Amino acid sequence: MKRTVEEINARIKKGDAVVMTAEEVVDLVRKDGLKKATEQVDVVTTGTFGAMCSSGAFINFGHSEPPIKMSKVMLNDVPAYGGLAAVDAYIGATEESCNGRPDYGGAHVIEELIAGKPVKLKASSRGTDCYPRKDIETYITLDTVNQAYLFNPRNMYQNYAVATNSGERTLYTYMGKLLPNMKNATYSSSGQLSPLLKDPNLRTIGIGTRIFLGGAQGYVSWEGTQYKTNVPLRNGVPAASARTLAVIGDMKAMSPDYIRALYMNKYGISLAVGIGVPIPVLDEDIMRTCALSDEELFAPVVDYALQSRNRKPIQETNYAELRSGTLTIKGKKAKTSSLSSYFKARQIAKELKRQVEEKEFYLSQYVQSMPAERAIRPLDVHSREEVEK
Amino acid sequence: MSSNRYLLFFSPDLINEPITYRMVKDFDLMINILRAEIDDTGGRLMISFQGSPQQIKSALKYLTDNKVEIKELNEYVHKDADRCTDCGMCVSVCPVGAFVIDKETWKVGFINDKCIACGMCIDACPPGAMKLGQ
Repeated sequence: MKRTVEEINARIKKGDAVVMTAEEVVDLVRKDGLKKATEQVDVVTTGTFGAMCSSGAFINFGHSEPPIKMSKVMLNDVPAYGGLAAVDAYIGATEESCNGRPDYGGAHVIEELIAGKPVKLKASSRGTDCYPRKDIETYITLDTVNQAYLFNPRNMYQNYAVATNSGERTLYTYMGKLLPNMKNATYSSSGQLSPLLKDPNLRTIGIGTRIFLGGAQGYVSWEGTQYKTNVPLRNGVPAASARTLAVIGDMKAMSPDYIRALYMNKYGISLAVGIGVPIPVLDEDIMRTCALSDEELFAPVVDYALQSRNRKPIQETNYAELRSGTLTIKGKKAKTSSLSSYFKARQIAKELKRQVEEKEFYLSQYVQSMPAERAIRPLDVHSREEVEK
Repeated sequence: MSSNRYLLFFSPDLINEPITYRMVKDFDLMINILRAEIDDTGGRLMISFQGSPQQIKSALKYLTDNKVEIKELNEYVHKDADRCTDCGMCVSVCPVGAFVIDKETWKVGFINDKCIACGMCIDACPPGAMKLGQ
């Protein structure tokens, strides 16, 4: 049994496509077997809703009278990068406010814009002959600006290590609050619903793939930063953090239901991004990975008490154990917490299923596939001569 | 039998009073001290009383007569349902298991009766959904 994206889109257009969520096909394949399930289902929808720090938005504010070439740009007192053309800026999700509030930053500005709220823009410049104005203070909303789009360099990590803490003091990390003596462990993947775990070799996902992004239809724009492939596999799926994707989408079409500003106490700000990817069931091979369950998807457990990039995994676990609420680490029980919302991930997979069924969302054939092999490079301190060739 | 939770405030001159002993001895209450703090402004005791409504009423009168300020704890910590994303970060940091994930819906529930107002969830909640109640 084989089918193409074009054939699937034709079936969506006719209203005949059979769409199921990645959770639903786990049960279907168990019940009916791989062959029959592949014949039955055209599209499998996935979802994830987690902290994705490497996110941010490009905004074009429009020109003032007289015009200004904005060099220092602040949105609700959060600095945005203005080293672009006159009225373009990029606001990064993790950028912190200058008004002394550690729990407010770029992610909050992004969430408030998407929620339709006004945001204070303050910009300054040295002034030029063509852009004479030196400062401006005004209010913007998503309706007043020309373009506002999320352009996130690293989203939807294909798997991620589970965090725990063997030390004697509480650690405040991007993986949340880690209690001393391995009293808890936190993880961040929607497991059996997670887009890149269900198509582990990115056979159907590449540059140009249309996705559900923050409630809008967005696109995969590039390989994500720190994309890598050289990790251990279990059941043909990376059992550690591996591929990532850069994604792009129009904020004007997004919903605050699927974009949420986060503050990790004593760490900083992040943005929870809701993403869903529809996977075309091209053949039995793709259905096999679409139907992998939480029991069959593994992640390493890492001790954050070691403050080094070379943390070795303490052990391996699977998402069924993590989702049970208790993880046994070195014979001791640790309570588990998810940082990504399984509730929201499921909501996204279901919403995407509805959109495909109701012909609001068509699948896309990518323009370019992602790298088949990629190793990650560290940053070491070198002299100029050492790096010069 | 009923069980109620209170936050008691003592001025510094009351710190030497054996209040909890009186609760047990004179009013026959089962008490459980959930939290206790003393600093230069006085003492704060979070306590749960178990006993008949009459016994509890008499105990509260005794406390008021002795100038102990009493605040009944109905909702010390409040969960903002609009802000909560149901991630479950709170689940593993809560020492008394006041957060429970419904394995059918995967929504995170907050059992107010179990809460001991330690505040551990407040700074652990990434979207800032857990707040101090009124």
